Amino acid sequence: MNYKPDESTLISYLYGELDAKETAKLQEYFLQHPEELSKLQQLTEVRNVLKVAEDQEVIAPPIFMDGPSQASRFWQSGYVKTILSIAASFLLLLVAARLIGPEISYSKGELRISFNQAAPIEKPVVQNDPTPSLTSHEIQGMINTSLVKNNELIATEWEISNKRIQASLQNNLASNSAKIDELMKVTSQASQDQVRTFVAGLQQDNLQLMKDYMALSTKDQQVYVENLLVDFSKYLQEQRKQDLMLFQTRMSSIEKNTDQFKLETEQILASIIANPGNTFKKVNNY
Amino acid sequence: MAGTLLDIAMMHSDALITRAREGDKNAQGKLVQLWYKRIYNFSYKFFFDHDLAMEVSQKTFISMHRNLEGLQEVTRFRSWLYTIAINNCREELRKRKANRSVSLHDLRPGESEESFAWEASSGRGENPERQLRQSELSDLLQQCLMELSDEQREVVIMKEYEGLKFREIAEALRISENTVKSRMYYGLDGLKKILERKNITKETIGYEL
Repeated sequence: MNYKPDESTLISYLYGELDAKETAKLQEYFLQHPEELSKLQQLTEVRNVLKVAEDQEVIAPPIFMDGPSQASRFWQSGYVKTILSIAASFLLLLVAARLIGPEISYSKGELRISFNQAAPIEKPVVQNDPTPSLTSHEIQGMINTSLVKNNELIATEWEISNKRIQASLQNNLASNSAKIDELMKVTSQASQDQVRTFVAGLQQDNLQLMKDYMALSTKDQQVYVENLLVDFSKYLQEQRKQDLMLFQTRMSSIEKNTDQFKLETEQILASIIANPGNTFKKVNNY
Repeated sequence: MAGTLLDIAMMHSDALITRAREGDKNAQGKLVQLWYKRIYNFSYKFFFDHDLAMEVSQKTFISMHRNLEGLQEVTRFRSWLYTIAINNCREELRKRKANRSVSLHDLRPGESEESFAWEASSGRGENPERQLRQSELSDLLQQCLMELSDEQREVVIMKEYEGLKFREIAEALRISENTVKSRMYYGLDGLKKILERKNITKETIGYEL
């Protein structure tokens, strides 16, 4: 039999998608080639192992989708938007121009854009007054006199204010230094007294604390040492008792052994006395 | 895979798909809620990377929304969705290969996923030690899967974890059913060798049938 199933057939069999006729044929093939069946069973094992990988949990994020109609897409497309925005800007300009009435003129290389009303081209104004009321010298003199007056006024005012300030400063300094001196004296006296009282109080407190501590500690130590002594004596007594008991048991066991030994010796002696002929033999048997 | 209410809802979502195809936004939202976990897990097992899986999942559902009108048969929704997902996965893979950069995650794979899994499953009220062990095992198996070729890995994940039929996998990957089965066979065989090399068996992982 030259039948040999291809991979496609084997996979169909593995997933139970093979028709009855093909399945029978394949099963017959497996009977003759058990190694192929075991190979397929190994693939089933692989499938079982693959099942261990679980799905990852995920939450669908909101996906915003635009409407499907072509019309809305057309209006929302970028080109249309750009063209519409340019058209709207022009329209706005036209309306504004209509309202404020612009005028654009170009003359002698100069472009002028004006709104509402045409402004006349400004020309440099040159006034030629034939009879000036004041001469330049007179004006200069007026300026000079006013400056001198002003300077004098400022100087006097400055001097007066300077004197006032100096006087007030001296007064303030004198009064402040006097106050500071007074304060310093008061504080130094007060601090010396306070330090003395504080130190004295501290010493007293410390002394009291030490006394209390010593009293307490001596009392505690006494109790502790007494307890310790009592415990130690109890321990010693107990130890002694145990030693005595041990000694007694040892003694009694020695006594017992001695008695037994005595008894055995007596028995041996008795047997020797009873059978004087066999003694030598028995001894030799040992 | 089947068994939970979510799975049952996914199996009987034809009416929902029809409504979503007709532009019902509510139905589209429900489809995303139903299928997000599956697509995320497929991408996660493909990349073993949470961020990439999230990226692919979001791209897949945006693409689903844009192209749902073009879906001819509602019954083929599942393979159609996985087609989008695998295409996105392959695109990301190409980008990664083109970049030739090594991220910190690649140096220590599974680090962030561990914590993610831990956080995500903390509310289950299970034994924390068991959860940690489970998470470690999942990562170990994931590392084995990553040793397979991309073609074998996608087929193994689709069949073993996503429960797709061979016909659906063939449709999703646009290859013949025989090729799918062949890749599956070599994929499982490769995994067997990897597991043997790493000494992972049913007994060593304490798996209970």
